[in-house]
Amino acid sequence: MNNSFARLIDGMNEVLRSEALGRIDDDYARGQIYGVINLLNTFKLRADWSAGFLLQQLAAQQQALVAVAQLLDEAGGAGVAGVALLTPMSAHLSGLGGLLPPPAALAPHASTADLLARREANNTAIGELMAWAQGGAEAEGTEADIAVEALPASGERALQDQVQALLRQALLAEVEIELKNSPRPLFAEMSGAAPN
Amino acid sequence: MSSNESEQALAARIEAFLGSQVGHPVRISQLRRFTVGFSWRTFGLTAHDLCAPGQDEALILRLGADAGLYAPYSAEPEGLVLDSLQGSAVPVPRVFWRSDDTTLLGAPFMFCSREPGQALLPWVSAGAPVLREPLRLALAAQFTDMLAALHSLPWAGRPVQALAQGISADNAARRNVAVWEAHLLRWAMRRYPLAEWGIRWLKAHAPIAPRVAIVHGDYRTGNFLQQDGRITAILDWELVHMGDPHEDLGWISLPMYRGGSPYLCRLLEADAFYRRYGDAAGFEVDPQAVHYYQVFSFLKLAVTHMAAARCFETGRSNDMRMPAMGSQVATCLRQMDKAIQRGVT
Repeated sequence: MNNSFARLIDGMNEVLRSEALGRIDDDYARGQIYGVINLLNTFKLRADWSAGFLLQQLAAQQQALVAVAQLLDEAGGAGVAGVALLTPMSAHLSGLGGLLPPPAALAPHASTADLLARREANNTAIGELMAWAQGGAEAEGTEADIAVEALPASGERALQDQVQALLRQALLAEVEIELKNSPRPLFAEMSGAAPN
Repeated sequence: MSSNESEQALAARIEAFLGSQVGHPVRISQLRRFTVGFSWRTFGLTAHDLCAPGQDEALILRLGADAGLYAPYSAEPEGLVLDSLQGSAVPVPRVFWRSDDTTLLGAPFMFCSREPGQALLPWVSAGAPVLREPLRLALAAQFTDMLAALHSLPWAGRPVQALAQGISADNAARRNVAVWEAHLLRWAMRRYPLAEWGIRWLKAHAPIAPRVAIVHGDYRTGNFLQQDGRITAILDWELVHMGDPHEDLGWISLPMYRGGSPYLCRLLEADAFYRRYGDAAGFEVDPQAVHYYQVFSFLKLAVTHMAAARCFETGRSNDMRMPAMGSQVATCLRQMDKAIQRGVT
């Protein structure tokens, strides 16, 4: 879900008041709508998005980023050109392994806002790394889905391919986890569909 | 303010505007907002005494309100295109008045002719019947031929030429990607590295267009009216621009618009569509270009869904369809990725 929990509650509340209540004459139906509004207000105060799928996404991100950090460390030691450009990113990456507890251990302590912020920080790191890793593929005009291969001692392009493959796993995992937690949308019904 | 109250206020402004245009008082009735559409608000209305005393005119008002998906809006591109298509083989509403002056109706607007017919929805409820075969075949042929006519229109010297500044067959794809990259930066409320990856792929694989044509930008079931198997009007031109005609072919091929059927846009078998279209448009459809623009279309739809999420989150709209659209970003990005991996089929 790409909207905040609180904003969704506010939106549902407003739609019920402005679009539904004004068009319903039946007292019982109106009372039921007010009951729903009352519950929505309660949810807004007491509830938030479940941390479960965010933790799964974080786990996939961190696994990939830690692996990339190790890869870059090794490449830096081997003198691969271009790795030095990633120094600020490397600092962020090398911190991930030590600083972050396993995502499952975060659950009792971290708020949804904390988890979202962490996911965003990870995605920022992934985005910057992907831009670097994709540079070679883009310049050559080739497909970017390169299989992971053994790292040649001084092959920046091979390193980019490996980094890209690792990060793509995390990106696709994030998407898959989100899809598993999304119901089928009712666009036809929402658009006032009539059989045709 | 409830929507009823806001529509009453709008009615008064419409009467004032129409009266100022014709030089005598005009009264309107039956102002009704249509539920379809996520962007421009579309209203039907009847204007009394507009052209002659005692005579009623059925009009459509399109209002580009700030609450719309792609706001802020301008009525100019759509107006230029609709003016250019009058008398062509592409049936479109006639624009009577348009303006970007927000002091008149509160938002950019267009008053158009009201064309007969109904829109078929691209989405279908579970268990809903499929289109009857004669209807499907009749619409499919027109849907194809009208798109070919649009892409073949000699636009030089017509009002729409104003949209073609600097666009060539060589740069059409890259310029288009740049537009949607800017939209991604503007509308995404969080970082989407997969979308950025897709943008870079699109930049690296941009095709050369067979010609620079008018691209509808949202040509699909749901954006035309039909009456008894005859397409009476092609609607919703808000994404119109000049570019590669393959772009509309890629958009038409999106699985989201198949409505659970095996047909593109619930209407057409893919190979037959490309054959008929190519014959009518006068160039051979390039499968690689269609694939490229299918990837682009998934990205474009993902970014559109990001716009919907932002539109709702910032409070510009309480339309509950917006967050529902916003929840579909992941679906589109996964499809985009699969299309890139799959390559041309």
